[in-house]
Amino acid sequence: MHRNLRPFVNDLVVRAAVAAVVLVLAAIVMHVVTRGAALVSWDFLTTAPRAAGRAGGIAPVLVSTAAVTGVALAAALPLAVGAAVFLVEAVGPHTVAARLTRGCLGVLAAVPSIVFGLAGNMIFCDWLGFGFSILAGGLTLALMILPIAACVAETTLRMHGEDRRAGYALGLPQRRIVWSIMLPAAAPGIFAGLGLGFGRAVAESAALIFTSGYVVRMPDSVFDSGRTLAVHILDLAMNVPGGDGNAFATATVLLASVAAVVALFTALDGKQGRDFV
Amino acid sequence: MSARKTVIAAFSLALTFAGLGVSHTQEEVRIVVTGSSTIAPLMMDIAQRYEAAHPGVQVDVQTGGSSRGLSDVRRKLADIGMVSRALGADENDVAATRIAWDGVALIVHAQNPLERLSDDQVRAIYTGQATRWEAFGSWDGPITVVSKAEGRSTLGIFLDYLDLDIRDIRAHTIIGDNEQAVKVVAGNPRAVGYISIGAAEYHASAMTPIRAIALGAVAPTSANVANGSYPVRRELNLVTYPDPAAPVEAFLRFASGQQVHDLISDHYFSPASD
Repeated sequence: MHRNLRPFVNDLVVRAAVAAVVLVLAAIVMHVVTRGAALVSWDFLTTAPRAAGRAGGIAPVLVSTAAVTGVALAAALPLAVGAAVFLVEAVGPHTVAARLTRGCLGVLAAVPSIVFGLAGNMIFCDWLGFGFSILAGGLTLALMILPIAACVAETTLRMHGEDRRAGYALGLPQRRIVWSIMLPAAAPGIFAGLGLGFGRAVAESAALIFTSGYVVRMPDSVFDSGRTLAVHILDLAMNVPGGDGNAFATATVLLASVAAVVALFTALDGKQGRDFV
Repeated sequence: MSARKTVIAAFSLALTFAGLGVSHTQEEVRIVVTGSSTIAPLMMDIAQRYEAAHPGVQVDVQTGGSSRGLSDVRRKLADIGMVSRALGADENDVAATRIAWDGVALIVHAQNPLERLSDDQVRAIYTGQATRWEAFGSWDGPITVVSKAEGRSTLGIFLDYLDLDIRDIRAHTIIGDNEQAVKVVAGNPRAVGYISIGAAEYHASAMTPIRAIALGAVAPTSANVANGSYPVRRELNLVTYPDPAAPVEAFLRFASGQQVHDLISDHYFSPASD
């Protein structure tokens, strides 16, 4: 290859990669939205499913989805931040404890979601006696998103090592350094990690069929079973003859809500929002 | 927003949810039904109708497969299990209530002109001895064999009828649910699969490009499944421990009675005559 051509070719390769990413997303969105958008109406969002989901709307499904992901994020946040602070502050980066913790998180990240579902069913539904419930589903998802949230939180905390050393140089106590310097500085990254976790949680179906369950009634509390959007889409597409239309409509709503949440997480930290997701 | 405020907000949210749960009084009767993903959508409709007629009773329908329904009943996680096959001899610790029948038929793409396959021909296709459509007459090209995953009751019925073992099956695609089989066959003119007759009839009426082919000599229609002349059919059962609690028994009577036959037909199954 002629030397002068190289920058041009490199440029082309990079542009092609970007185009591929955008095209794949665009193709999926187009496929779903063109078949689903026409069926989404105010009624669809505010009524309960009828005839196994072939008719009616998805109101209870939306509420359950918000509750399950809410529980998951609320439970994952302290665990992820705790693990990250432990790795950065309490132990050296190459100690046995640090390697063990990171190893465990790595293994947790590689566990297939159906295994999370079965384990969640055993631990939360059976042993702890929550039954099929939003709480059991949310806690199972919290375990699933823990590795990515902890990993991103740790990386962000380490990026602010200079602030940390400055704090120690000023003689601040460790508690104060963590709460007043490290965590505020790392907050955008921590939320970015949770945002990624949200994406995984809201798309999850295998882990939830056995934990938060399949019930489409409007939930009264987190101890009720509730079907999430992804489970609803799976059931309509796979088990209900004639469910395809509402499956696409539900998928359109799911895509729109993911976009809305990503926008929300971006807005949560104005200036550094560009770094997000 | 500072990290601290956000943490506090998240905790408050979690506590609010927990509080909602604790304050929730459990005076209602709750019946938990789990099992077969084939029966689950139908049971959801039955449960909705039952709840409307019986205030104070909640019927929670869960899914996950027939084996799961049985094991959940045995582990007392569920009051009723949905099992889309007949119970075996080693499963007589539970009592079954039959609510409907479901026939199993072969499906091919609508372009495939084949009218009939003998049992031996089906066996040859599914054991990998016949690999091209030319062997059966007017259609050509390699056969794409679609079979179901282990544990699916449709697979069990299919193997039983053909007297095959699951290890004999040579499939190109292993799928889970009826709708998945329909999607694969509708997208591949040279594929063959097997599904619920009810689902096949729905898709024929919805102009999906698939066609049902009989296993055996009788036409694969819901009417023939209901009257028993079509041989390849499975029972859709609700299982409980013998002598269930009164609310559970009342629900079982409702689910196996006349008043839900329209729902059973809506879901393309054939009501079990009572």
